[in-house]
Amino acid sequence: MPGLAKLRSFFRNLFSVRRVEKDLDDEVQSHLAMLVEENLRAGMSPEEAQRAARLELGGVEQVKEQVRIERAGTWLQSVFSDCRYAARQFRKNPAFTAVVVFTLALGIGATTAMFSVVYGVLLRPLPYPRPDRIVSVFELTTKGKPSHVADPNFDDFRDQSRSFLSIAKYVSDTASISGTSQPARATVARVSPQFLSVFAVHPIVGRDFIADDAKKGAEQTALVSDDFWKQYLNSPQDLSQIHLKMNGAPFAVIGVLPPGFHFPADADLWLAADTDGENTSRTSHNYSAVARLRDGVTLEQANLDISAIARRIHDAAVDQNDYLLKDGMVVPLQSSLTGSARPALLVLLGAVAFLLLVACANVANLLLAQASVRVRELAIRTSLGAARGRLVRQFLTEAFLLSLLGGSLGVLGACLGVKGLLALAPANLPRLESISINLPVLVFAFLLATAVAVGLGVFVAVRATSGDPREGLAEGGRGQAGSQGSQRVGRAIVAAQMAITLVLVVGAGLFGRSLLKVLEVNPGFRVEKVVAMDVSLPWIDDPKQRASQGIFFSQLIDRLKQQPWIKNVGAVSTLPMDGGLPDGMFALLNEREVPKTLDGFEAVFQQKERLGIADFCVASEGYFQILGIPLIRGRIFDSRDTAESQHVAVISESLARERWPGEDPIGHTIEFGNMDGDIRLLTIVGIVGDVHQDTLDSPAPPIVYVDLFQRPRPAITVAMRSDADTRLVATSARDILRDLNPEIPARFRTFSQIYAASLGSRKFNVILIAFFASTALLLATAGVFGVMAYSVSRRTPEIGIRTALGAGASDVLRMILGQGLRTVLIGVAAGIAGALVLTRTVESFLFGVAPTDPFTFAAVTLLLIFAALLACYIPARRAARVDPLIALRHE
Amino acid sequence: MSSEPTNLLQGTLDLLILKSLVAGEMHGLAISRRIHQITGETFDVKPGSLFPALHRMEEEGWISSLWGDSENNRRAKYYRLTKAGQKQLHVETTRWGRISGAISQALQAS
Repeated sequence: MPGLAKLRSFFRNLFSVRRVEKDLDDEVQSHLAMLVEENLRAGMSPEEAQRAARLELGGVEQVKEQVRIERAGTWLQSVFSDCRYAARQFRKNPAFTAVVVFTLALGIGATTAMFSVVYGVLLRPLPYPRPDRIVSVFELTTKGKPSHVADPNFDDFRDQSRSFLSIAKYVSDTASISGTSQPARATVARVSPQFLSVFAVHPIVGRDFIADDAKKGAEQTALVSDDFWKQYLNSPQDLSQIHLKMNGAPFAVIGVLPPGFHFPADADLWLAADTDGENTSRTSHNYSAVARLRDGVTLEQANLDISAIARRIHDAAVDQNDYLLKDGMVVPLQSSLTGSARPALLVLLGAVAFLLLVACANVANLLLAQASVRVRELAIRTSLGAARGRLVRQFLTEAFLLSLLGGSLGVLGACLGVKGLLALAPANLPRLESISINLPVLVFAFLLATAVAVGLGVFVAVRATSGDPREGLAEGGRGQAGSQGSQRVGRAIVAAQMAITLVLVVGAGLFGRSLLKVLEVNPGFRVEKVVAMDVSLPWIDDPKQRASQGIFFSQLIDRLKQQPWIKNVGAVSTLPMDGGLPDGMFALLNEREVPKTLDGFEAVFQQKERLGIADFCVASEGYFQILGIPLIRGRIFDSRDTAESQHVAVISESLARERWPGEDPIGHTIEFGNMDGDIRLLTIVGIVGDVHQDTLDSPAPPIVYVDLFQRPRPAITVAMRSDADTRLVATSARDILRDLNPEIPARFRTFSQIYAASLGSRKFNVILIAFFASTALLLATAGVFGVMAYSVSRRTPEIGIRTALGAGASDVLRMILGQGLRTVLIGVAAGIAGALVLTRTVESFLFGVAPTDPFTFAAVTLLLIFAALLACYIPARRAARVDPLIALRHE
Repeated sequence: MSSEPTNLLQGTLDLLILKSLVAGEMHGLAISRRIHQITGETFDVKPGSLFPALHRMEEEGWISSLWGDSENNRRAKYYRLTKAGQKQLHVETTRWGRISGAISQALQAS
């Protein structure tokens, strides 16, 4: 094995230096001795024999050195000596080294922290076997948007497609679980029996679903998460002893899933969906669908497959309307989960890359300045025979050591940074739990440090070793002429730095102004001093049986109102900014026109002129008062409205304006029974102000409010206005709820928390970009300062001569400032051009400002010029104070 | 030290060392003398070229070394051909044949 022999000698040469050297010495000495003996035998005198032998050998040390050069691993030893040399350089300039390492640590650390988020959310494979084979299946609406799937459509996808090993549907919701150590609100997913096989996951205790679990009339069965099993059930091996109720209905736990499995997000229980008794409508999009691709089937093939089935359904469907699917689509599960977060994360990654560039520019300038001080040293090494390659390697070694040091420090910083990022991250950022500093992130950091080292090292080395060594020696490390070139490069770097920084700061400005504009939006409601209690009662199918729920909530609200510390109590299906309301089509219909048959209703919903679209919100009278939603005309719900009296509705202002233009909607009746299964007509009795129900930056939707006590629903949010401490409110409200029904858990939040969370991603983006931009600004200012100060110190003799010849302090000041300003202005101009192009890519994140917002551009330009002038001013003033006598004595 | 065309062609020294070791294991001086002898006293390899070549070839695995006693009872480092060395000798011999043939042909061309 010749290769192995070489490797062995490589290590021997490196690690057994003494033995190898001794061996070599012995060999050469013995050779010499033999030569002497030979000469003696030939009849020479001892002295002559010695002399002739030495002559033939040509010097013991020289021979040994020749051998050493040929040895395996010589290059590595020279790398070591380069490193030792570099370390000596660093020790000689501790301040320089510290600044460089810290700047690199900042750049590499910030980039690594940001990359760890991008990696965790977008790149890290999902934690299931062969995750790339798992796909989401969507219907496409008439507008081409992906939507959930309707039950019969899912059945067709499942039965007709040939692309999937397995396909399953799921929908998740929160439910009250009792029978546990304490009543719990849990995220419950209703799934079809094939669900686990899509993920190739198996229960660690008990069994998976079988087809019979989904049959009508079968005992309700559920799987639980490992966390739930441990926390609420005390991890029993015998699952048959567990007796749980979900929303009041008993179910059996048949299996426990492996730790960490929580799909869909946060799910703790998986219920076998009742696939027999399902909805027959092709336009009720109730489920999401996932599937595992059959081996050998590509995403494109699966897409063609699903698309063909979807279009067949579309063409054959009887109830053709806007809600019917137009097409179908298959997307990798990972991108469907994280697609919404992708653009923002990529923008942030781009921003941090800019910061890294600015940091590198600073370091490049520092290294260049350092190299120009070393002109003499380089010249000496060159004249002593060092090849240019060897000097370039010396610079590369130094750059590599510096970035490795900076990178390690940066990774340490990134560990802290990631914690900070996780604390800041908006709750709706998917896959938060998979963000960490892990091996791939470390590899990234290492590669990044290497790339930075190569870039910086080559750049500085080429600049520093290109000169003629004779000049370097002649200049004596002091001269001005030779460094003119490197100063030009330094200024070019500073200009580039300014340009990049300007782009970043403009970006930060635009994001920040958008946030301010969003905050200026009048939400249409008050946020302060409201505590929200989420309560959900057992589900009741028949609308007529739901009266009990209304009675329960009415009791709950009355009891809460009696508390002295609660000023007012209201209830609503979903608070604004808390996930949105369901929307649907309603029809204008009066008492005489009400159809007698289902077909009749379908006919009504074909008449476009009767239809309208609105969000459907269930609320109580107190809701409007607590949130301060103004009554514009008519009345809101009151004690006149009972379960038996005529059902009433209150509508939002924009709905009134758009659906009844130039008309008074009060007194009109509408049919909106498709939202809650109650087909009784609703009489419009009032108009209230618009509310930004979904987000502040999307328009306020049209809303139809119905009375909670006429149209009860099992899950509501009770809103309580109180000046008292939130915890006190929560504790006593929970006591009252327990008193009414001990099996119902509640969740408490303040409305302010909900409201703040809705701004979470916008704030996250602003904070990060502002941090990157301000750091870049700081670095760039330091860069300007560094280059100017260096230039002034180099030009001291020249300035001395100028002063001696009669230039005043103000002339010198103007000259230096002018020189600095020219550089800065070039950079700023380039930056503005770059920003005009680049800000267009973030247009979708902006609100109320154009990507070319002149105010932002002007303010940022002024800010940068001001900062740069400040950075120039200090060295310029030092230059103006140069004493010509002292400066010239330098010569 | 009669004639001394010291600039041996690249690889020629390796070939000569390998060739001389076919006779059996020997130390550096013996190799040097053997080359002198088998090349009709044309080549005289100095230690400054011999030892680097020997060490390099040992690292390549073509020859191996061991310490032994010389004919005059002096400790000396002996070299011997390995299997890989024999193979290498064959390769180098073929190559040399090709080169020298080509050169002679070139020189004979009018």
